[in-house]
Amino acid sequence: MEMTEKIEETARELGARVRPQIEEAKRRFSSMSDSATTYIKENPGKCLVGAIAVGFLIGKIASRRG
Amino acid sequence: METHAENPPNGRAAGDGAGAKKLGKRMERVGHTAEQVWDRTRDSFSDIGDALDIKGRVDRHPFGTVAAALGIGYVLGGGLFTPLTGRIVRLGVRIGLRLAVLPMLKQEMEELVSTMEDEEQGKARQAASKRTTRTRGEEP
Repeated sequence: MEMTEKIEETARELGARVRPQIEEAKRRFSSMSDSATTYIKENPGKCLVGAIAVGFLIGKIASRRG
Repeated sequence: METHAENPPNGRAAGDGAGAKKLGKRMERVGHTAEQVWDRTRDSFSDIGDALDIKGRVDRHPFGTVAAALGIGYVLGGGLFTPLTGRIVRLGVRIGLRLAVLPMLKQEMEELVSTMEDEEQGKARQAASKRTTRTRGEEP
């Protein structure tokens, strides 16, 4: 019984300690995603050409290895 | 006073003047043609852009469009028939199966279990009713 209580307490403490970090990471990820979306919408040509170039390079590397 | 341009040492002053004029005209024509080609190419690209509605697509699905461009580049780079593609496809199929088939299987299993439970309950009820009729029959 004591053991279970101890485990529950430790889990609660751990959750309380980790939760703010998770929230911060979520907030950062959301902000990064928003800024990336804005950049892509503002420079569609650059992004598409860049993506095609990156894909081309990956395809070249994959075809050389295979 | 004579200059080298009017009377060069090889004695082709008149011919060179005409040649230079011709060359100038030709250069002008080439420039004009290049301008026309550039205009046409730009028009064609803008037509293609309008037809594909790239700006609208990027506005609606920014990450999807970039992913599609990445895929196009990958195929153009010759990565289509490679082990990496095989691995990616296998991973996609596995994830797709997990997402699509597992809920279906779960539902089927739940239905099966509920049917079995109903059958068990029906059998138990039948056995109970038989027992009651037997006990009633034994009573004097």
